Amino acid sequence: MIVTLHLVALALYALATALALAPFVGFRSTPRALAIAFPCAGAAAHVVALSQLTLVGLGPALSMLAFCLVLLQLASERLLRGSAVSFFAAPLATGLVGLAVLSGLSPGTEIPAGRGTWLILHVALSVLGLALMALAFIAAALYLLQFRELKARHFGQVFQLFPPLERLDQLNRIALVAGFPALTLGLLLAVGYGARFSGGAGLHVAKAQLVWGLFTWVVLGWAVWVRVVRHWGGRRAALASIAGFSAVLLVYVALKLVQPGAERFL
Amino acid sequence: MSIKVLGVNHRTAPLEVRERFAHGAHEVPGALARVMAAGASGGVLLSTCNRTEFYLVTDDEPALETVWSLLGERLDAAPSTGVREYGYIARDRDAVRHLYRVSAGLDSMILGESQIQGQVRDAWEASRAQAGPVLHRLFQTALHVGSRVRTETRLGMGTASVASAGAQVAGKIFGDLAGRHALILGAGDMAELAATCLSDQGVQITLVANRTQERARAIAERLGGRAVSLEESWAHFATTDIALCSTAAPHAVVTWERVGPVIAQRRGRPLCILDLAMPRDVDPAIAQIENVFLYDVDDLQTVAAQATARRRDEIPAAERIVEEETDLFWAWYGGLGVVPTIKELRSRMDQLRAAELERALRQLGGLSPEDRARVEQFSQSLMNKFLHQPTLTLKAAAEQGRGYGLLDALRRLFGMEPPE
Repeated sequence: MIVTLHLVALALYALATALALAPFVGFRSTPRALAIAFPCAGAAAHVVALSQLTLVGLGPALSMLAFCLVLLQLASERLLRGSAVSFFAAPLATGLVGLAVLSGLSPGTEIPAGRGTWLILHVALSVLGLALMALAFIAAALYLLQFRELKARHFGQVFQLFPPLERLDQLNRIALVAGFPALTLGLLLAVGYGARFSGGAGLHVAKAQLVWGLFTWVVLGWAVWVRVVRHWGGRRAALASIAGFSAVLLVYVALKLVQPGAERFL
Repeated sequence: MSIKVLGVNHRTAPLEVRERFAHGAHEVPGALARVMAAGASGGVLLSTCNRTEFYLVTDDEPALETVWSLLGERLDAAPSTGVREYGYIARDRDAVRHLYRVSAGLDSMILGESQIQGQVRDAWEASRAQAGPVLHRLFQTALHVGSRVRTETRLGMGTASVASAGAQVAGKIFGDLAGRHALILGAGDMAELAATCLSDQGVQITLVANRTQERARAIAERLGGRAVSLEESWAHFATTDIALCSTAAPHAVVTWERVGPVIAQRRGRPLCILDLAMPRDVDPAIAQIENVFLYDVDDLQTVAAQATARRRDEIPAAERIVEEETDLFWAWYGGLGVVPTIKELRSRMDQLRAAELERALRQLGGLSPEDRARVEQFSQSLMNKFLHQPTLTLKAAAEQGRGYGLLDALRRLFGMEPPE
């Protein structure tokens, strides 16, 4: 059932991706209602699947990340009054759900009784922080593409379909500023989880998980600091977001290559 | 009665003629009253900067002559006959289609512009007292057609003039333009048009003029902005969001030396410079500054041309909607009152038949019940035969949209009350 629902969500996200990218291959833009209907229907199937899933392991974490990304895509498109975020978010979510299904959706380990809420909150908040970081990356990428078109005086599909620079900059800022407390809380819950259920002896986490978690937190914290304290904006802030997210992704891939396997997120 | 439209528009008359024909809102009731007095049973006057059109429900030639006279009086030299060379008439179905195309923006100077829909609404509202039921319905449906075309096609998408293309490009940088600041260099027609376009979107305007300070002040006042001199303007490049240049200077006035150091004070905030002047007002080297987005007339014409091309692609879809709605209106107009009129006619004929039958039976005296029934059947059959062909003709005319005139004739011939 879980896999079937994931496959339904995957199909709907894939359709949303096709509709989002259609104008770039010469088709007409999809009516807004339809462009929203597919990710919404996919998210509905996805949330039912997630409610039956134990959030432990690579597959469930990727599935949760894809779900958060779709929700953020829908929310940010309301903010931007356009569907540009879906150019990146829809294929990313489709890919993540596909990877989740391939990795397997059954948990690698059992959750001891009474610890489920802690774990769900930890995973949900951490993944939400990561999804917001991904959204900031998407907004930054859209910003740079639109910036390039505007500077070069090209008035093609990017100019027509992408949102204005200032709105993308605003989305990048909101995503980073909201992502940092979410990730911080997620990490604090992990620390609390360890203190409460492991007698203060620390978490039963792999070293890689700890390294990557702290690295992501530092990168996100730095991105927020340069935006909020140093008042970076526009192109410089977009480049910083892209560099930060790419670094987080690269470190994850590197750590995963060292310790392969789908039973743990890392 | 048939529907007619008489008028002049941007295709048939130059601006200096059109502006003479334009009617202010206060002139509409008087003009329509004259046409109604000449025999029209309904009238609406649509007068914009691009067209002056009288929509009438009339069969009477004097009403049409009155319209030509009305327009002719507005031309200094030419008598009313001279007006006709600028004018046109469309009748019945063509008149309906014409108004639908006007409301959809298909007949506008700028294809697909939406302002016309508001003007159609205003015309209808200003002529409410004289419009009559047919024109009420026609204008109501014309607004519906305009909405349908704008919702179901992309005829109104994008921008189609250089000034509005400038606003669109600025919008792609800043998003919502409300509350932004624009510095307008120049006080000519193009500068005024562009300033008005930006002001309509909530942009705060500062006008700069060296030679025509008075005009700059007048425009700025009208747009709720202020006017400054050219020398004062350079400092504004540190704070303004949009700089629109449209001076008549023979060389670049916005140079690196004048604004380069000032723009550096912006700390990365974007500046959109729209150079609408020919020759150009802005030194192209300024575009090298990272946060400066510089566009000249060619760029903006490209944006406008793209929009126009996209709009042209939508014409067939828009025309289909117009045709569909014309069919619907025409079916309604043709069938207006057909069923109640036929019912009323049959009822009157039946009353006459019954009365005459009663009289005949009294005169014939001792008929057997079978014979009485035969005579009654004969009267019924005769009435049905008499009414059969007129009923069929009336229904067929209604289906073809020509029922209104026949109904009118029928009601007059048989002394029936006119329909509501």
